Amino acid sequence: MTRYLLKRLFWMVPLLIGISLISFFIMHLAPGDITTTEAGFNPKASEESRQKLRKLYHLDEPILVQYGYWLKRMATLDFGTSFASHQRPVFWERRDAQGNVQKGLIQEALPVTLLINVLSLVLIFVVALPLGVIAALHQNGPPDRIITLFVFVGFAIPGFWLALMLMYWLGVVHGWLPISGLHSLDHDKLGGLAQLVDTARHLVLPVFISALGGLAGISLFVKNGMLDVLRQDYITTARAKGLPEKTVVYRHALRNALLPLITLLGLSIPGLIGGSVIAESLFAIPGMGKLFYDAVLMRDFPVIMGILTIGAVLTLIGNLLADIAYAWADPRVRRGVVH
Amino acid sequence: MKRAFANPLARLGLALIASILLLALLAPVIAPYDPDAINVKSILLPPSAEHWMGTDGLGRDVFSRMLFGARISLLVGFVAVGIATVIGVVLGAFAGFYRGWVDIIIMRLVDVMLSIPTFFLILAVIAFLDPSIWNIMVVIGLTSWMGVARLVRAEFLSLREREFVLSAQTLGASEVRLIFRHLLPNSLTPIIVSFVLGVASAVLLESGLSFLGLGVQPPQASWGNILTDGKEYIQFAWWLSFFPGLAILLTVLGYNLLGEGLRDALDPRKHP
Amino acid sequence: MRHIFGLGVLVVLLAACERNPLPPSTDLEASYPVESGGTLIDAMAGEPSGLIPMIAGESAASAIASRIFNTLLRYDRNLELEGELAQSWSISRDQRTITFTLKPGLKWEDGAPLTSADVLFTWELVTDDRTRTPYASDYKLVTKAEAPDARTFRVTYAQPYAPALDSWASLQILPKHILQGQDINTTTFARKPIGSHYYRLEEWKTGERISLVRNPNATQGPPRIDRLISRFIPDPASQFLELMADNIDIMNLNPIQYARIIPARPEMKRNIALYKELGNGYTYLGFNLKRVPFDDVRVRQAINYAIDKQELIDGVLLGLGEPVAAPYKPGTRWVNPELEPYPYDPRKARLLLKAAGFEDHDDDGILDRAGKPLRFEIITNQNKQREMSAVLIQRRLKDIGIEVHIRVLEWASFLGRYIKTGDFDAVILGWGLSLDPDQYNIWHSSQTKPGQFNFIGYHNPMVDKLLEQGRLEMDPDKRMKIYHTFSRLLLEDSPVVYLYAGYGLPAIHKRVRGIDSPAPPAGIGWNAQDWYLPSPLRRTEISAQ
Repeated sequence: MTRYLLKRLFWMVPLLIGISLISFFIMHLAPGDITTTEAGFNPKASEESRQKLRKLYHLDEPILVQYGYWLKRMATLDFGTSFASHQRPVFWERRDAQGNVQKGLIQEALPVTLLINVLSLVLIFVVALPLGVIAALHQNGPPDRIITLFVFVGFAIPGFWLALMLMYWLGVVHGWLPISGLHSLDHDKLGGLAQLVDTARHLVLPVFISALGGLAGISLFVKNGMLDVLRQDYITTARAKGLPEKTVVYRHALRNALLPLITLLGLSIPGLIGGSVIAESLFAIPGMGKLFYDAVLMRDFPVIMGILTIGAVLTLIGNLLADIAYAWADPRVRRGVVH
Repeated sequence: MKRAFANPLARLGLALIASILLLALLAPVIAPYDPDAINVKSILLPPSAEHWMGTDGLGRDVFSRMLFGARISLLVGFVAVGIATVIGVVLGAFAGFYRGWVDIIIMRLVDVMLSIPTFFLILAVIAFLDPSIWNIMVVIGLTSWMGVARLVRAEFLSLREREFVLSAQTLGASEVRLIFRHLLPNSLTPIIVSFVLGVASAVLLESGLSFLGLGVQPPQASWGNILTDGKEYIQFAWWLSFFPGLAILLTVLGYNLLGEGLRDALDPRKHP
Repeated sequence: MRHIFGLGVLVVLLAACERNPLPPSTDLEASYPVESGGTLIDAMAGEPSGLIPMIAGESAASAIASRIFNTLLRYDRNLELEGELAQSWSISRDQRTITFTLKPGLKWEDGAPLTSADVLFTWELVTDDRTRTPYASDYKLVTKAEAPDARTFRVTYAQPYAPALDSWASLQILPKHILQGQDINTTTFARKPIGSHYYRLEEWKTGERISLVRNPNATQGPPRIDRLISRFIPDPASQFLELMADNIDIMNLNPIQYARIIPARPEMKRNIALYKELGNGYTYLGFNLKRVPFDDVRVRQAINYAIDKQELIDGVLLGLGEPVAAPYKPGTRWVNPELEPYPYDPRKARLLLKAAGFEDHDDDGILDRAGKPLRFEIITNQNKQREMSAVLIQRRLKDIGIEVHIRVLEWASFLGRYIKTGDFDAVILGWGLSLDPDQYNIWHSSQTKPGQFNFIGYHNPMVDKLLEQGRLEMDPDKRMKIYHTFSRLLLEDSPVVYLYAGYGLPAIHKRVRGIDSPAPPAGIGWNAQDWYLPSPLRRTEISAQ
C-alpha cells in the first residue's frame, strides 16, 4: 500500500508541472493585459499611468522570468494579490502590519461553490441511485424508458433557460422562493434555525439546476453497473439460495455496483470546484465560477492562474483519494494486479 | 446496428436528429424570410401566421433564423467533436499501440487536461482569442478529446492481444497497416458512440458560451445566441427563448438517446 | 417514508417565505408627508474592487464612494458648479491660481475635523507616483498646492487651465488622519472607508451586498433615507426579476423593458414609476483615419449620409434617445444650436462616393475603386445596443454598395488588441459626455499614440488650435464660442458618425418620493438625499427592526 501511495504521489509531480505550464500558457494567449482594463476608457486617464501600472506588476519582464516567478509561487502556494480587486490575496487571507486581515478571494468563493456542488452531488445520488436501480431491474421495460427519457431531458435542457423560467414562476409569480443571492437582507437578524431555512431556500433553485444536468450520467452509470452485477454468478447463487429479491438487489448487487462510483466521484471533483459560471451569474452567487469569469474579463492574471492551479491541484488530490479508497476497497488494485 | 433500433428511444433520437438535420439542410428552401432581414417596424411580434415563431429585437423572423441557426449550431457541434475525435483517436491509438513511455506521456497529458475544469479553460481561451465561430470549434475540440483518447487506448490495449492482431503482426503487417486496417476498424463502435454523445455536449456548450456573450458573431444566428437574445424578455417575448430552448433540448436529447441506444445495442454484455 | 420527509422539508421551505408585497389597498398614488427613515434597495451588476475612488476606478465603486466621500465642488440640478465642501472659490487675476474656502465646522464621520490639510493630502496622494491611479493627469498640472490655514486651499497652475474647476468636482477628499503613513494601494481602508458625505459604510458582504447608513456627521446635512443597500446581481435578467418581485426599488432599464414590458404589465405599472433622463454618453461609429479609404472626407461623409440615425434610434432604442450633432450633452450650453446631424440621404452618399472614385465597375453589387472593393470591418465590444447598431448599419451600407463585416469582442481584447494597436477599420463605441467641454484627449492630434484616446488618428490643425485655446480660456462665453466652432469643424470633417445619445431609463418603485420629475439636466439622482419613503409604503421586513 505504501509503495502504491508513493508511486501515485510521484506521478503527481509531472502533472503539477503540466498544470503550471497550461495555466501559464493560457495567460499569455491574452493580448490585452491588466492595464488595458484597469484604466478603462476614461479620457482622463493618461498613458504614463498605464506604463506605471505595467511596471509595478512586472508585466514587462521576459516571459521566462515571469514563468520562473510563477513556478516559485506555485510551490509556495503564494498566488499573490489580485490586480483588479484592490490587491486582495488570491488564495488565502493575509494580515498586514496594522493587524488588518484581508480575506483571500478563493478562500471566500470556494466554500460557497463547494456547498452548492456537494449538495447537488448529494441530490444527484439520492435521485440517481433509485432511478438507476429501477431502470436496471426493468431493463427495456416502460420504467426504464421513462427514466432514460427523463434524465436525458434533464441533461439536454439549457440550464439558464430553465433557471430563468423557474425564477420567474417560483420567485415572481408565486413568491415561493427567493430569486437570487445567498441570504435575505434580514438574515443576520434571524434565529439559528430560521437562518438555516433562509439559506436553504436560497439554495433550492441553484442546487436543483446544477443537479439536473448531472442526473443522466450517474443514473446510467448505476444502471449499467447494476446490469453487470446482476449477471454475475454470485447473484445467481444468491437467488438460487432463495434469498428474497430485495435482499439480493440491495444487499448484494447494489453494493458491488457502487464500487466504481468511487472513481466517478473522483472524476466529478473538477466540476465540484469549478462551479457554474452561468448559474452563479444568474443566481448572484459569489462562487468560483463568478470569480473566474470576472477575472477573465478583467485580465486579472493572478486570480485566473490561482483558480486554474488550485482547482487542478485539488482535483488531483481528490483523484488520489478516490484511487486510494478504491484500492482499499478492491485489493487487486492494491497489489498491482489491475491498473 | 439493427439492435439499436429495436429500442424505441433510440428510434426517437434518430428521428429527432434526422428531422433537425433535414430542416437545417433545407433551410434556404423552407425559410419564409431572409434570416438577416431587418425591419424596425415589426420588432418583437408574437408568433402569428406571417411569423410562425414571432420576430426578434430587430424585427427579424425567428423561424427563419432558427432554421439557419440550426446549421451553425450543428456545424459547431460536428466540427468541434470531429476535432476532438481526431485528436483523441490519434493520441489514444498511439498510447494503446506503443504503450511504454508514449503511453505514459499521453496519459499524463490526459490527466492534466482532465484536472483543469474544462469550462474554465474554454472560457479563458475564447475570451483571450476572438470569439469567432472557428475559434469556438477549435477550442471545444482541443479541450474535449480526453474521453475518446482513453476509450481508444483501452480498446487498443485489449485488441492488441487478440489472436487476429497477433497473427497479422507475425505475418509482417506494418504498424500503419496494423493500426488502420486491424485495430481502428475494430474500435469504431465506442468512437461512434462518443462522437454522437459529444455532439450533444458541444451544442450545449455553444449555447452556454453565447449566454456569456462569447458565442457566434452577429448577424449570424445560432440557437445559443437567439436564446441569449431572448433571456431578458423571457416573461414578455417568450417566443424568443422558447423556440431556441426547445430546439436545443430536442437536439441534445436526440443525440443522447441515439448515442445511448447505440451503446446499449453494441454492448455485448447486455445481450447474453 | 422518505417522501414524507421530503414533503415536510418542502412545506417548511415554502411556509418560511412570507413575502411582503404591499397590501393591495395601499394607495401608491396618494401623496404622503415628508419623513425620514426607511431602506432603499438597488442592484448593481459588478462589485466594487474597493471604495477608494481614485484607485478603484470602476463605475460600481464610484457609485458607492460618491455617497461616502465629498468633493470640493459639485454640479447642481442645472449642471452649474456649486460648492460642496467649498463655501466659495476665487480665481486670481492672472487666472492661474484658484483659492477655495471650506465651509466651517466640517467633520469626518468619526468626528475628527475635516480641514484643508485633508484636501492637500488627497492632492498629494493622487499626484504621488506610487499611487496606482489613472486619474493623476489633471492634478499634476498643479504646480503648487498649499493649505495656509484650516479652511483655505490654494492651487496654482503654470498657465490658466479652464477644466480645472471640473477636476475639483471629481476629486473625492480622503481623511489624512486615517490614511497618513499607509500604502494607499493596499490599505484595508478600501474596504472600510471613513468619509464625510451623507452615508457611511455599515456592512460589506463580499459578493452579496454593501449597505450604507446615514452619517450623523454628514457635511451636507442629513439625508432622509436611513439606509441604502446595493445588492450585487450580475445578470440583468435576474435584476429585472428582482424588480418584478419587489425585492429591489431601483433599476436602470433597457428600452424594451421600459417601453414594452412594464407598460404591458398592470401589476408593475401599479408599483413602478418610470423616469427618463439624458444619458451620460453618445454612441458613434469611428473611422480609422490612417487607413484608406477613410482618409478621404467624402467617404466619411457618404457613410454618414447613408446611415439612418432615426432608424437606429427607433430600432435599437425604441425611440428612447436623441440624435446628436456635437459631442456634448444635449441641452447644455456647449452644444452649438446651429448644427444638425447628417440627414439620411443615400443618393447624396452615392454621389460622394462616386466623386471619391467608388463605382460598381464589376457589377457585383459592391462599389470598387482601382479594382479594390469598398469593404470594411466594424468592431465593437459586447454591448447589445452597439451590436444591434452594427447590424443595422451593415444593412444600410449594403444598400449603397458597401460591404461591412461585424466583429464583437470582449472588452479587454477589444481594447488591447485592436484599439491600442490601431488595428481596425471602424469601431462602434461610446464616449462619455463630460460636463466640461474640454475634449483635448479625444481629438487633439498629439493624443494619437498607442493607448491614447485619439485612437482614430484625427488630425486637424484648426481643431488642435481651438482645443488648445479652449483650455486656456476661463471666460465661459468665450469658451462656448470656441467649442461651438470646434463642434462645427468636427461635424464637417465627420471623423466619426454620431449615432445617438440614449436616455437613462431608471425605474423606481412608487414608494420612493421626492424625486424631481421630469428629470432636470443633472438627472433624477441629483437630489437623492431628499428622496423619502413614507412609512406606510415601506417594506415591513426591514422597518420592523
